[in-house]
Amino acid sequence: MLKAKFQATIITVLLFIGLLGLWNMRRGGPRQASAAQAEPAKETWHKEFDAICAKTEDAMTFSQEELTDLIRRCDTLRPQIEKLDESQKKVYLERLRKCRGLYDYVLDAKRKEKK
Amino acid sequence: MTTSSMQKGKRRNERRHVLLARVCVILLLGNVALAQVYLPKPPPEPSEYGKVILDNYSATEPGPVVFDHWLHRSKFTCRLCHVDVGFAMEAKATGISASTNRQGFHCGACHDGKKLFEGKPIFAACSDSAHDQQCDRCHSLGKKRARKYEYKTFTAKLPKGIYGVNWGAAEESGIIKPVDFVEGLSVKQAPMQSRKDFSIKAAYSWVHPIRFSHEKHAIWNGCELCHPEIFPSTPKGTVQFSMFHNIEGQYCGACHRKVAFPLNNCQRCHPSAPLWAPGRLP
Repeated sequence: MLKAKFQATIITVLLFIGLLGLWNMRRGGPRQASAAQAEPAKETWHKEFDAICAKTEDAMTFSQEELTDLIRRCDTLRPQIEKLDESQKKVYLERLRKCRGLYDYVLDAKRKEKK
Repeated sequence: MTTSSMQKGKRRNERRHVLLARVCVILLLGNVALAQVYLPKPPPEPSEYGKVILDNYSATEPGPVVFDHWLHRSKFTCRLCHVDVGFAMEAKATGISASTNRQGFHCGACHDGKKLFEGKPIFAACSDSAHDQQCDRCHSLGKKRARKYEYKTFTAKLPKGIYGVNWGAAEESGIIKPVDFVEGLSVKQAPMQSRKDFSIKAAYSWVHPIRFSHEKHAIWNGCELCHPEIFPSTPKGTVQFSMFHNIEGQYCGACHRKVAFPLNNCQRCHPSAPLWAPGRLP
């Protein structure tokens, strides 16, 4: 009688552990997969664009050398964007122009400040 | 001296006075006319203020688009649309087309039928699918009852100023919370460092100084919307901003003549000035 009860407890515990494992797999596994699908890997030009234009709000804190480098990176990126399809080119060239314009503006202001 | 010569002298004096008075009246009228030229014109009704008609392809159906700034600015920052999404500040400079919308740019950056706003999907702009077609919601010029939102009902609960909704107060009170990020286009940035407000001395001694809300402008517009195109780099103190420039659409007038509160609202920028609002709405 005791043996049967012990066996039933063991089976219940094992079942519980198994179900818990399955539930965790369902929760974690596909979610990671869908997240990866939802955010496709960005192309190299796009990564560079994000890296350059993510700094506009800190432009005033950069040194003249850092600003010059950002402007140079904008100029290097421009021909790559010009090769994109018409819609992407239209949007990203305009955005790049704004980023570059701001860095150039801050650099100019810093130069004038030094004089 | 005879009586007749005295009368002649009196008449000559009277004529001189009349002539002087006429010159004064002419000069006065001239000054008033000049002042009228350089006073901001009364703005249109708040529901019409900031309305943009996009008619790049008006010759074909479905006709021109009516874009109301008041609807979109209650939901998004200026920066989001004019920097991240890439809408230009001048008419016909953006190059919006059904094709760019369908590819997820311009209007399609948000209006893709998938993105959610306040829990509801935003309808797709220029959708190919017949099921999603709602052309008249945007292409609504001259079409009655095509628009979903009406200014009066939409803005009923928003705080009002002299010329319609006071958007600053609406945000401060938490009634509106403009979104500043759109997935897929916006670039994640570190939180902006506080830009301090500052005073600007007016070009003329009789004009009250300007209190410039740099922080509010930086948060709503970002840096690159104003610099360098609207406010280029100049050595400090070499450029004097004047109302003449603003009225002509330069500097503050680039936005405060078309979309942001109108230039007629003197006290919003010159807080110590007497309450005066030329062309104020009844």
